[in-house]
Amino acid sequence: MQFSSSLLENAVNEFAKLPGIGKKTALRLVLHLLKQDPGDVHHFSEVMSRMRSEIKFCQRCFNVADGDICSICANSMRKSEMICIVENIRDVIAIESTQQFNGVYHVLGGVISPLDGIGPDQLTIEALIHRIEKEQTAELIFALNPTIQGDTTIYYIQKKLGTAPSANATPLRITTIARGIAFGGELEYADEMTLARSLQNRLPVDKYVSR
Amino acid sequence: MLRIESLALLQFKNYSDRVFKTPERVIGICGLNGIGKTNLLDAIHYLCFTKSYFSRQDATSVQQGKTGFRIEGQVVLQDKPEKAVCVLRENGKKEFSINGQAYDKFSQHIGRYPCVVIAPDDASLITGSSEERRKFLDSLLSQLDAGYLQQLIVYTKVLQQRNSLLKSFAETGQKDLSLLEVIDQQLIPAGEYVFNKRKEFLVSFLPAVKHAYLDIARQQEELHLFYESELLRAEFPELLRATRQKDLLSQRTATGPHRDDIEISMGKMLFRNIASQGQRKSLLFALKLAEMDVLQQEKHFPPLLLLDDVFEKLDEERIANLLEKVCIKNEGQVFITDTNKERLTLQLEKLGVAFGMIGL
Repeated sequence: MQFSSSLLENAVNEFAKLPGIGKKTALRLVLHLLKQDPGDVHHFSEVMSRMRSEIKFCQRCFNVADGDICSICANSMRKSEMICIVENIRDVIAIESTQQFNGVYHVLGGVISPLDGIGPDQLTIEALIHRIEKEQTAELIFALNPTIQGDTTIYYIQKKLGTAPSANATPLRITTIARGIAFGGELEYADEMTLARSLQNRLPVDKYVSR
Repeated sequence: MLRIESLALLQFKNYSDRVFKTPERVIGICGLNGIGKTNLLDAIHYLCFTKSYFSRQDATSVQQGKTGFRIEGQVVLQDKPEKAVCVLRENGKKEFSINGQAYDKFSQHIGRYPCVVIAPDDASLITGSSEERRKFLDSLLSQLDAGYLQQLIVYTKVLQQRNSLLKSFAETGQKDLSLLEVIDQQLIPAGEYVFNKRKEFLVSFLPAVKHAYLDIARQQEELHLFYESELLRAEFPELLRATRQKDLLSQRTATGPHRDDIEISMGKMLFRNIASQGQRKSLLFALKLAEMDVLQQEKHFPPLLLLDDVFEKLDEERIANLLEKVCIKNEGQVFITDTNKERLTLQLEKLGVAFGMIGL
């Protein structure tokens, strides 16, 4: 791509760094901004740069937040004794969209995968364990991807909790989200492992029927 | 019954755009060296296993100077026609579909079209390292049992994680042993599954190989085949505990089914050290023919058979003997390559089977 202005070229190159954006799309976006009122564009860039510099991570759950504590943790209507453990912020957004969960979260920031150079120290596992000791946590719900690394992470945290001295009077309940055939999916096309797992963990019909 | 009716190749190896009709049960593929006989067999291998028999990288199967390839097969499976398509896109992404329905995971396809290949390089199955024999065993068991392939994939992935962890211990000097234990807990069930399946299978398979060998060699030789695995002597968790210190030092996993082997001996010596070329070849055929029998029994229809240049170094009598086994006694579709069209035609005519001949 040939540009008559290096300013334009730099802007295009920056946009093209974003995921899912190629050079052509980047050019379209930049040319669009060029047509806008300079004030609007200034506002746009300010919003972006403020987002990056001022955003904070919740000190309790590591979700994104405007202050020290995110809006979910600060909400007194939510059950703080129920913690849902997720890999990243996107998973929080996904579970929030279901409007089915009224507890709080803990964002790990990834899953254990030595192959990718990610060990327990890179994640917020230590913080989670302190948190459980400090707060009166009654239930941990693991909502991690059903992969080998996800399983490793679950077993590791479970093991850590098993050895940590527990100050809790009530025993901690540890669960994972159900795995199996997708809603609206077809048995025929489910892979054997999923189907086998679904059979093993079958449900009584009265619990199955959605209410 | 499984039969490939036609094969359309686009930018695959030396074929820019060609269609081969293969409705007969026995197909001869003849032509000079380097003309693409084996490439045609490899295209069929792609349709059966979603990958090349010879190369790990799909890119090496693309015609020179091109990007991407397409293999389309008109297949008849249990009297029902279906279209199998394997496409390598320009971006290097591979897709595999049956009647337009793409697979999420290629492993789901393995076993749908059972297939046995006999190629000259296969001698390494006898003479090469234990990895070759595990590969043979894994390929066969995966076709028989989809659960085996799943567990093998899990085992391999967890093993990679474990080895990376051992390396990171050495690099950082910090040893999180509880993480190692967690990974071992994941490794153990998958490893035990793989081991038990191999053990169970080889109990009947190895005697069948021996029987087939004696049949081909037509002489009494003291041949022994046995499964060699550390898991035969101790439980997997125990083995892992015992080698832990060694693993931490060497930064890899010293025990487990990834070190299994099939030991072959003649008399008291290792077969690969003392066997003649003819004996090796006979044992190779014995392994493959036993594989064919097992697949037929389990699938209730015979597998495809791909014979690549197997007649080299065989005398007339042995060629006739082998052809009778694979074309008369076996009812599946057979593809045979040979450089000598007259020789192959003559042999097939002598057998009295209907056959098709592709001259390249």
